[in-house]
Amino acid sequence: MNAILLRSALSSLLLGIACGSTLSINLCHAGERAMDYNRDIRPILSENCFACHGFDEKSRQADLRLDIFESAYTDRKGTIAIVPGQLAKSEVWRRVMSDDADEVMPPPNSHRSLTNGEKDKLKRWIEQGAPYAGHWSFIPPVKHELPSGPSRQPIDAFVDARLEAEGMKRSPEANRETLIRRLYVDLTGLPPSGDEVLAFVADKSDNAYEKVVERLLSSPHFGERLAIEWLDSARYADTNGFSIDGGRHMWLWRDWVIQAFNDNLPYDQFLLEQLAGDLLPNCTDPQKIATGFQRNNMVTHEGGTIPEENLANYNADRVKTLGESILGLTLGCAQCHDHKFDPIKQSEYYQMFAFFNTISDKGLDGNAGVNPGPSIQARTVLKTDEVPHLREQIEAIEKSLLTMDLARLSAWEKREQASLALRGKDLQTYPVSLKKVSTPNRGAGFEIEEATNRVRLDGFGSMGAIDVVAEIPKISQPITGLRVIMHPMAELPGGGWGYGPDDALKAKAKKAKAASESPDEKKVKGSFMLTALAVTADKVPGDQVNLFKLMAIDHVTANSWEASNPPAGCLDPRNDSGWSPDLDHSGPVQLTASFAEPFDAVSAPYLTVQLNFGNGRSLVAKSIELQVITGVDDDTDLPSDILAILKLSEKDRSEDQHASLWKYCAEHSDELLPSRIELANLRERLDVLTKPFTTMVMDVAAKQRETFVLQRGDYSKPTDKVSPGTLAVLPAMPTESSRDRLGLAQWIVMKENPLTARVAVNRFWKMLFGRGLVGTPADFGSQGEWPTHPELLDWLAVDFVDQGWNVKELIRTIVLSDTYRQTSVTTIELVERDPQNLLLARGPRFRLSAEFIRDAALKISGLIVPRIGGPSVNPYTPGDLWREVSHYGSSPATAQTFVQDHGEKLYRRSLYTYWKRTAPPPNMMAFDAPNREVCTVSRGNTTTPLQALVTLNDTQFVEAARAFAARILMSTAKDDQDRLEWAFLEATSRTPTSEERSILSRSLDRERERYRGGINQAKAYLSVGESKISNQVNAAELAAWSQVASLLLNLSETLTKN
Amino acid sequence: MALGSLMSPELLRAQAPKTVGGLPGLPHFAPKAKRVVCLFQSGGLSHVDLFDDKPMLHEHAGKEIPASVKGTQRLTGMTSGQSTYPIVPPLKPGKRCGQHGTWISDLLPGIQTLADDICIIKSLNTEAINHDPAITYMNTGNQQPGYASIGAWVSYGLGSENENLPAFIAMVSQGTGKNPGQPIFSRLWGSGFLPSSHQGVGLRPGANPVLYLQNPPGVEPDQRRHFLDDLAELNEMRAKELGDPEITTRIHAYEMAYRMQTSVPELTDIRGESAQTLEAYGPEVQRPGSYASNCLLARRLLERDVRYVQLYHRGWDQHIAIAKQLPNQCRDIDQPTTALVNDLKRLGMLEDTLVVFATEFGRTVFSQGKLGDPGMGRDHHGRSFTVWLAGGGIRGGVEYGATDDFCYNITENPVHLRDLHATILHCLGIDHSRFTYKFRGLNTRLTGVEESHVVKGILS
Repeated sequence: MNAILLRSALSSLLLGIACGSTLSINLCHAGERAMDYNRDIRPILSENCFACHGFDEKSRQADLRLDIFESAYTDRKGTIAIVPGQLAKSEVWRRVMSDDADEVMPPPNSHRSLTNGEKDKLKRWIEQGAPYAGHWSFIPPVKHELPSGPSRQPIDAFVDARLEAEGMKRSPEANRETLIRRLYVDLTGLPPSGDEVLAFVADKSDNAYEKVVERLLSSPHFGERLAIEWLDSARYADTNGFSIDGGRHMWLWRDWVIQAFNDNLPYDQFLLEQLAGDLLPNCTDPQKIATGFQRNNMVTHEGGTIPEENLANYNADRVKTLGESILGLTLGCAQCHDHKFDPIKQSEYYQMFAFFNTISDKGLDGNAGVNPGPSIQARTVLKTDEVPHLREQIEAIEKSLLTMDLARLSAWEKREQASLALRGKDLQTYPVSLKKVSTPNRGAGFEIEEATNRVRLDGFGSMGAIDVVAEIPKISQPITGLRVIMHPMAELPGGGWGYGPDDALKAKAKKAKAASESPDEKKVKGSFMLTALAVTADKVPGDQVNLFKLMAIDHVTANSWEASNPPAGCLDPRNDSGWSPDLDHSGPVQLTASFAEPFDAVSAPYLTVQLNFGNGRSLVAKSIELQVITGVDDDTDLPSDILAILKLSEKDRSEDQHASLWKYCAEHSDELLPSRIELANLRERLDVLTKPFTTMVMDVAAKQRETFVLQRGDYSKPTDKVSPGTLAVLPAMPTESSRDRLGLAQWIVMKENPLTARVAVNRFWKMLFGRGLVGTPADFGSQGEWPTHPELLDWLAVDFVDQGWNVKELIRTIVLSDTYRQTSVTTIELVERDPQNLLLARGPRFRLSAEFIRDAALKISGLIVPRIGGPSVNPYTPGDLWREVSHYGSSPATAQTFVQDHGEKLYRRSLYTYWKRTAPPPNMMAFDAPNREVCTVSRGNTTTPLQALVTLNDTQFVEAARAFAARILMSTAKDDQDRLEWAFLEATSRTPTSEERSILSRSLDRERERYRGGINQAKAYLSVGESKISNQVNAAELAAWSQVASLLLNLSETLTKN
Repeated sequence: MALGSLMSPELLRAQAPKTVGGLPGLPHFAPKAKRVVCLFQSGGLSHVDLFDDKPMLHEHAGKEIPASVKGTQRLTGMTSGQSTYPIVPPLKPGKRCGQHGTWISDLLPGIQTLADDICIIKSLNTEAINHDPAITYMNTGNQQPGYASIGAWVSYGLGSENENLPAFIAMVSQGTGKNPGQPIFSRLWGSGFLPSSHQGVGLRPGANPVLYLQNPPGVEPDQRRHFLDDLAELNEMRAKELGDPEITTRIHAYEMAYRMQTSVPELTDIRGESAQTLEAYGPEVQRPGSYASNCLLARRLLERDVRYVQLYHRGWDQHIAIAKQLPNQCRDIDQPTTALVNDLKRLGMLEDTLVVFATEFGRTVFSQGKLGDPGMGRDHHGRSFTVWLAGGGIRGGVEYGATDDFCYNITENPVHLRDLHATILHCLGIDHSRFTYKFRGLNTRLTGVEESHVVKGILS
């Protein structure tokens, strides 16, 4: 192996390979060519001098500016910083070359110094007359004449000219297999199917490539693919971010973005609507939805924080995001002082800030899953023809659930009868000795009542998490369950079990009172709702349940419940369901949880039980007893009418009873759970497409806040009052524009703005090539990188605007270029000469982004459910990672505990995965996905061991391998060799070489042998994931092929765009 | 021959440099500490109750804090509306400990015995007064999100000394003082703008100590070995064909993943620990996921030269019922913390391991809520609070900085949290002012743009 390769591989193991590094490598042999101020000199001065001799007045030293010639050329008592053409008279040169620590520039304490190359450039620049120039990106772009050469395609012409200057040449076109895969990944984020590859390879027509491009540009997945980078820029997520990080609802905005790209909404309009859709004349709901862009910022509802401070932070984030994502300016650098490098005054920063400081948002808002205001109810903008089909599917499932299926009914009944027969078998109940009770937010009103060995809770509020520690007596039989008993108390309302009453009953009582029917509200019986129950047993006592060892509960029963709040309601840890007893019941009520695995109380004698009460209401019990049981629980979760029917022999049941039984079975049995999940998912989807939902928007407050320059950015130190305004260094706002967000948006998209189009074009270029023409896509300022191909960038930017800000046309132009179509096959020499491919002498090659790695596995496996948009989903995640860090049990906020979804929600594209900012999806984070807390314009592109663990072991990928194997076996391929070839093509879009095939063959044979000899191993492996396992192939065969499928999904080639 | 076997772990180890990753030129100077363990007490530890008793607090018990002391600076929204601010002396008595006679509460009997090993800084301060900004500040040097955590900085700068484990590992435990405690966030051990390979890798109890570590059911280790050999062979063929060094990097990443499948379970298996050691960490060490268990794992990680081990123990946010909650919280951490320091000492590792016992802010000397009420607690206090350091580079047995008679304002040697960061880096041989990463046009530093200094007075 090449030694350099090995070394670089090792050092990047942990370090990863950082793409988008800001290192600029000047590939040009400087030679004797003329120095260009912007290209050659400004970066040196900016990095080393401007902090003290630049734009920022407050930190300026010796009143000298080196960023403008007026100051640099000025005679200061005989000393002149720069004398054009006269090196010896230029103080700058003397100081840079000085050996004297007191004189040398930059000064030693700055830890900066000029390299010899930089000194040489500076020297030649001064000798050449020290010509200054305005900063390139502030000068409006023009279409330069195309360089002479054979190519008239502008991209190729500019790229070729640059390559020629370096004595290099473009690489040949990539082969068709590579090209189509590159196109699919770039334009849809999904790999092509094998058939699509073959069809393209076989298509000998002249416009075969163009046809694919057109097809993909009009694919509905185009919008999904383009949305990803914008969601990063816009810091889109599903939670509020700060502190408790509760849930919010912004997916209508996300879907607006997808639809906008699919509709090819002109980019100027795309920005206009997102920044000021609400201010457009006769604005529509979709235009209001679009304004969610500047509501995606994080917000807090942490008690104790100061609203004014929070609001200042929100607006600072909006200005920063605007700067980095749209203008390519680090506006945030001028929050506390004038910008150190770019001509942006602190006062100008606050003028930009003022545009956003007009919203009616509050400094503390967004708790309990309710969107922070302002928000609207609106319908989705998604255009889809799913609705009729959805209605049909829903109807079909509803019908199937209404149609008695005797086989299923009898299977269910058989199981129920068997468990009823065992009901109460060998049951023993044992009181446990209560040791301690704790709760997070109270100092009193919770204690162990020793005389009765019960927990006593007094006067609780609207919710409570109660942790009880207990010691189990020495019992040799395994403990099978826990029983929680709530005792009625005379002092509670109506002599009930809890503080209740239910709000509905309260309302009823009020009404009754008004009608003077029942004047005493106390007659309403006090009740409770147990919203969640968690249990751990350990060898040492633990004050709180051990989140890492929660006992799996098989089922719960009770001796009483309201029809709407059955015992199973407490199995969902979220607080929107729970168990509540039937108010007509008298005496104690009890709930029994039977564990999936009985445990040994001798080795784990300490029990901790967490009881969550309330559901946001005063539904908390007062007097609680705990028991453990051995044997079988004598309660049931079957309602009494069903129980009665089950007691009758089948022939004694009436038609109605028969129907009731089926109805219950259809609504509760495991057999029909998949149908119920599917039905729920389809209904939700139908709602998404037909009903209004909440989303956060911009508005203008009736009473607007005033904006001041904040001293050092401190919200509590306002100084000068400012009004909305734009940056002096850029062209002025159109005179007809109002001084509000709409005016700001119009200024951003006006033709004269030199930044907007360049920044956009650069971002789209980066999406396709992995690196922008400007290597710092969020910073087109002085500290940003000089473009590798300035004329090309300008040509594209001008053309983009001329074509009506047409995104699809821009992308079409790029992907049709020969530059884009080059092969990425390269040589060590070329990699060493131009590791970042700055000169574009080869095609792009980089690892797929996080979402597309998972999406590729879903597509290749056939599991993918390609629906567009809708509320975010919770696919497989290893455990409840949220609860470990959240405020669960102490807050009504949503997104505090992770509950996995089922059915089609497991197989949606990854951009729909629920993004909780403080605990983002780990299989995405491993692949450099940002946590979406702040605007991210370029993701890293690392290679780490954690990534390998994800694609090898994550349930999602293990299941995908199994499903892919089933596809392979169901394909038309007729023998192993054919199948391997088919599968390889599906995964990588090319056919394998004979060596590759022989390795795969060997692998297959080995796995086959292994699993034939270990069928249980095969079954265990195949059991991963919730999708149905194909029963048409035997387990060993499917497992062996799943291993091969996993191998294919883990190939570097599968994970990479070539 | 399969490439995977060509690159057996032994061979890789022989070829690999001792340090993986890291920046050229770092450390800047000879480090006193090679590794760090940070025991972060999340929620705001009460310096008043635990480390900073003053006679005046007892004299003024129940009386209003003098206006001259309280000043006019902002309070959190939780107490800013209170009509009175009565002084509450420490909950429990304490005693003078160590040769220098520093006061430590009886709630921390173990830490009392460490007095001669640790350096207590009583003058730490932060501008932040609420959890999210304050804890983000302490962990990343900035109150707003988007910045890199200290561990990520250290991983970036110094790389790893262990090719089988990540350089930066984070563990979270739940406190019994207040449960749930204040939420914490992955950004606290995140990489911010640094490459994501430097983010802290979470270590959790259970079958998957590192997420996705375990092979799926029905897949044996030897089977996985064959699988990886095949994968490497296929990838290597492609690497030759395409001339792509990235493929080789990926092959190595898969190999390290495989090694982690052995090294991590070996790390978390504490069965080989002596009864004496286990006893020292206390009964909770038997409960995976507890602070005690994490302390023992921290020692095992440090022994394996993991560069930065970060613990978070939640539950210190005693606004409510401090009398009930604080003793529990102290019991969680006292014995394990003490055992960890002693264990490092016993193994000769305290010399080159920096131990940082920190929190995001202190708590008010006055009561939150009605004086004497069982629900009474203390609010956040960022103007002065206590942290302590021990080990590599730090002078033990000293107290540094001081607060006024009401442990409210700093009277001597203020240490801003940036100074603490600069000092941690200094112990690792890094000059904080020269340790930068270029991001958005700025040479960004952990210590930010404001002035910050290494706290020379506490260095050994």
